[in-house]
Amino acid sequence: MNGWTVAATAALAVGVGATVWGVATGPLRRRVVAQNLSTSLACPALLLLSEGYDRPSYVDLALLLALLGPVGTLVFARLLVEDLAADPPRTWGLTYAVAAFGAAVVIAVCVAAGPSRALVKLLVVGALLIGGNLTASRALSGGFAGSRRG
Amino acid sequence: MNRRTTLLGAAEILAWWAALALLWLVFISAVDALELVVGTSAALVGAFAAWGTRRAVSGW
Repeated sequence: MNGWTVAATAALAVGVGATVWGVATGPLRRRVVAQNLSTSLACPALLLLSEGYDRPSYVDLALLLALLGPVGTLVFARLLVEDLAADPPRTWGLTYAVAAFGAAVVIAVCVAAGPSRALVKLLVVGALLIGGNLTASRALSGGFAGSRRG
Repeated sequence: MNRRTTLLGAAEILAWWAALALLWLVFISAVDALELVVGTSAALVGAFAAWGTRRAVSGW
């Protein structure tokens, strides 16, 4: 065990555990937000594990998760647009907190990586993670309903 | 397509190709000849796909 794996374990147990609970219980507006945040928390956990176990291939998993997680949320947002319009989620505080956690993890692993191609890859993962999270949250909060082009 | 739009399209595909090839170069772990050949080929296919998608979405 080192600091990286401890942080990854905490992110998985507290963060992803809480999102699994959120997805499994409560009203729809809570479930979709928890579903969106689950990938936003699992992705930084994978980055921490890649640093902790010194396995760069874990970054590829984080990259895929950062890319496909928001895409999955957008599918839910599109399919549930009528239900969400009636009862939209208002969880920007939680969304920004998770985005800040992702940014902190990306900065930490970037500092550990040092200037290299791996650093640029980590920055791309971080941009996809935070940008995708915010975009998907906006879609859940009525981005589709408010969209002029449908 | 007239001469101007052809030139614009070619420039756009070249820009996509450069950006995607650069992204591939950043993502791979070991840089060798085979990776570069596969990466530039895949980036060229992706550049045409991105150009077509952009035209389909924006309508010009």
